[in-house]
Amino acid sequence: MELEEFNNHVYQDYPSTYDSQHSLRLRTVPAQDTSAVHFDWASQPKDAEDSDEPRNLRELPLHMGLKKAVRQVQQMRAPVVSSSWNIRQSQTFRRFCEVAKNILGYLVLWKRGIQMIGGHFGGGVQSYFFFLRFLVILNFLSSLLIIGFVLIPSIVFRSITFNSTIALTFNLTGKETCLEYDPKPDALMVFYTYFLDLVSGTGFMEYSYLFYGFYNNSLILSNGFSYNIPLAYLFTAAFYFLFCLICMIIRMGGTARLVVVTGRGAAGGYSMQVFTGWDHGLQGDRATKLKQNNLRHRLKVDLEEEKIKKKAASLTLGQTVSLYSLRVFLHLVVLVLIGATFYGIAQATQFSQSRETTGFEGLLLQYLPSMVITASNFVVPLLCDKIALLEKYSPSTTVILALLRAVFLRLVSLGVLLYTLWEQITCKGVRENCSPCDYNHDQYKCWETRVGQEMYKLTLFDFLITIATLILVEFPRRIVVDHCSSKLIQWVGRQEFSVAPNVLALVYSQTVVWTGALFCPLLPIINTVKFIFFYYCKKITLFQNCQPATRNFRSTTSNFFFLLVLLFGWMLSSMVLLYSVAKIHPSYGCGPFRFYTAMWEVVPGAIKMLNGTSKEFLFYVGSQKFSIPLFIFSCVLLCYVSALMSVYGKSVALLKSQCKLEQRDKQFLVRQIEELNATMQKEQCEPQQPQREPESFFHTETQWNQHYNYAFEPNEDPRPY
Amino acid sequence: MGGTSSKLPKDLLSEYQELTFLTKQEILLAHKIFSELQGRENGPYGSRVSMEKVLTLPELKSNPFRKRICHVFSTSDMKDGSLSFEDFLDLLSAFSDSATLEIKSHYAFRIFDFDDDGTLDGRDLEKLVNCLTGETDDTRLTAEEMRQLISNILEESDIDKDGTVNLSEFQHVISRSPDFVSSFKIVL
Repeated sequence: MELEEFNNHVYQDYPSTYDSQHSLRLRTVPAQDTSAVHFDWASQPKDAEDSDEPRNLRELPLHMGLKKAVRQVQQMRAPVVSSSWNIRQSQTFRRFCEVAKNILGYLVLWKRGIQMIGGHFGGGVQSYFFFLRFLVILNFLSSLLIIGFVLIPSIVFRSITFNSTIALTFNLTGKETCLEYDPKPDALMVFYTYFLDLVSGTGFMEYSYLFYGFYNNSLILSNGFSYNIPLAYLFTAAFYFLFCLICMIIRMGGTARLVVVTGRGAAGGYSMQVFTGWDHGLQGDRATKLKQNNLRHRLKVDLEEEKIKKKAASLTLGQTVSLYSLRVFLHLVVLVLIGATFYGIAQATQFSQSRETTGFEGLLLQYLPSMVITASNFVVPLLCDKIALLEKYSPSTTVILALLRAVFLRLVSLGVLLYTLWEQITCKGVRENCSPCDYNHDQYKCWETRVGQEMYKLTLFDFLITIATLILVEFPRRIVVDHCSSKLIQWVGRQEFSVAPNVLALVYSQTVVWTGALFCPLLPIINTVKFIFFYYCKKITLFQNCQPATRNFRSTTSNFFFLLVLLFGWMLSSMVLLYSVAKIHPSYGCGPFRFYTAMWEVVPGAIKMLNGTSKEFLFYVGSQKFSIPLFIFSCVLLCYVSALMSVYGKSVALLKSQCKLEQRDKQFLVRQIEELNATMQKEQCEPQQPQREPESFFHTETQWNQHYNYAFEPNEDPRPY
Repeated sequence: MGGTSSKLPKDLLSEYQELTFLTKQEILLAHKIFSELQGRENGPYGSRVSMEKVLTLPELKSNPFRKRICHVFSTSDMKDGSLSFEDFLDLLSAFSDSATLEIKSHYAFRIFDFDDDGTLDGRDLEKLVNCLTGETDDTRLTAEEMRQLISNILEESDIDKDGTVNLSEFQHVISRSPDFVSSFKIVL
């Protein structure tokens, strides 16, 4: 076949230095060979499918001239293949895929901008912007969901009907006070109260589509079309959470697979650093020099760490004990610091909720929890960093520990805020204290709107602080550093774009949005706009004010870590959602769930209205007959997948040891040949000593048997005569 | 500009699309940039551009491996690192977004193989580390550190203990690194 001839032809022109078929021949290594072909053509199946061939052409590590020749050969072979209709179909499909990929390439948001960022600042900073883009798209899609199912129907139905059409079959005696809720603002307003209301979500903002309290519990029934607003509201919130979870899991899936395959995935050995360390996308002398400094710094640090570890293994008992006790003490200090922060947040929330002042003072009071949270998120990580210097962990452990502490601080401080709110709304969980309305009616006439307002204020404050930091801190810092040449200022230097705190800020904002989505349906839309602003602001500050970070940041494992932290935030907010849907009594005076004992009650009510078969089906799905087999099945699936994982790990180890054995065998055989050649030459000069050969032959045979490597027949005489 | 700009014929364009990992836009952009390097608008794309001119591209100008990259992808008989248009496309294809890990690791190995003998021995590794850290005297590692580093690298990656890293061992190390594909990228 012409392929075989071409095969040999190629081998003659471009001798390979490591072809397995000619392993025993001692070859001198050609020093000038720059186009060594390392592609075993014999391994390609003779009847390769047509759709694989173009892909195979691209994947050949040959230069273009050779690839063209291969293509010609393949095209000459093509008429032999059976059905041409198949070929044409697969070709058109492939062309369609390429066109689709081209078009999708145009639709990717900010592709060029992020590419430029990666070129100038490296992969770590780029991963922050990828994460930001993911969150923007997630928020945008979820706001479309909410607008489509909740906002637009509410607007339409509000303009059509004005009465709620749900029958009032509830006993409302004794609860007339609970129905009081009058958020309508005064007709005449001073200008600055307008601004204050905008920023704090009260006044004219409170009774608007922004907050839960504005939506009605309307049920529209008109010739065959029915739309139940409370049900839609609840289901939209549930689907919003599920949608975010699915997106995160899909995105984590790819990175998780990589992390599992590459083992620990963390700081990887020296060979990994050296072979994969360089980022070819970097442009410009400054970025290159910084990357080189970075790599040198890391290599030096790692080499020194190794020396320290060797020394630490030889620490005396007394020194080890003192080091560990110091570490335990510092851990306690950090815990105390974080605990003090939580106490401060709880006090601030209680204080601000219990006062009702107006004007600028009132605004400050309302923003008190946000200010305390932001201040602590700024101060406590700084202190933790200083403490970490004393703990004397290795650099990689220090970074991970710092990140974990920062994450803990951020998410749990939000949790403390929510807990304090819950305490106030439900009178510390004791229903009796809160009669007659089952929630604290004096302070919270419409508690869902108040919670929504808190989340709205947190989001807004976060946004304002970022913009303010940009304008008031980063730009002046750059101006000072560029124009003032004092040593102290130059030592402080330009701002460094540190990836981890920025990512944690994004995770925090997203968690706030998730928590508030049930009570403030337009919050995802506000968040989309906010994150789009963030992208442009951060990009501007990056290029104008920042220098590339001197400390490296591994992109892929960090991506996995960011998504993991985002998942924790999601779990926190879903707990809040589940609790408020199931346990707390909705307000009587406002919202789509008034007159229900819990928000969840809408669903059983709606199911009762379905017809027979759907009801039976839903009851069956919820029963034990269905869920227990499902649970068992998923356990079996889990066991199967983990068994598969361990098998792959073992086969990798097996292949590695096989590789080692093969090379040892190769070396041994080469030595044998040399020896035999030497004895042969000696024999030619001294033919009087034939006795030594049989001994060496037997000796080698036993050694072959030990290796169990029957590359030759054991009885075959390797000597050529 | 205008009427004298040379266009890539459609059949060549589709052939290049089949033989490389580049999209149509990327091939056209590469053609435009290569023509500018040649200095002539409608020059035949069979002629070569010298290495010095190729190294004026902003994407390659500061890359410490720029000379090795040109040598690896050049098919010139004089071994002077000059690139034809097809060599240029090969270069961009290997460094593109959609190139496979095998192709990238193969070419990375050839770029790091400074003496072109098919394996990475101690001398190659030393030159590689010097490229990574900087060529000047105050940016190099000390001799002691270099020795320690090279012995660590060989201990980790030389599976068959022959004192050099061959292509399969190199690819084994690379396959465990999740960042390699995204860092081995040059986009015009």
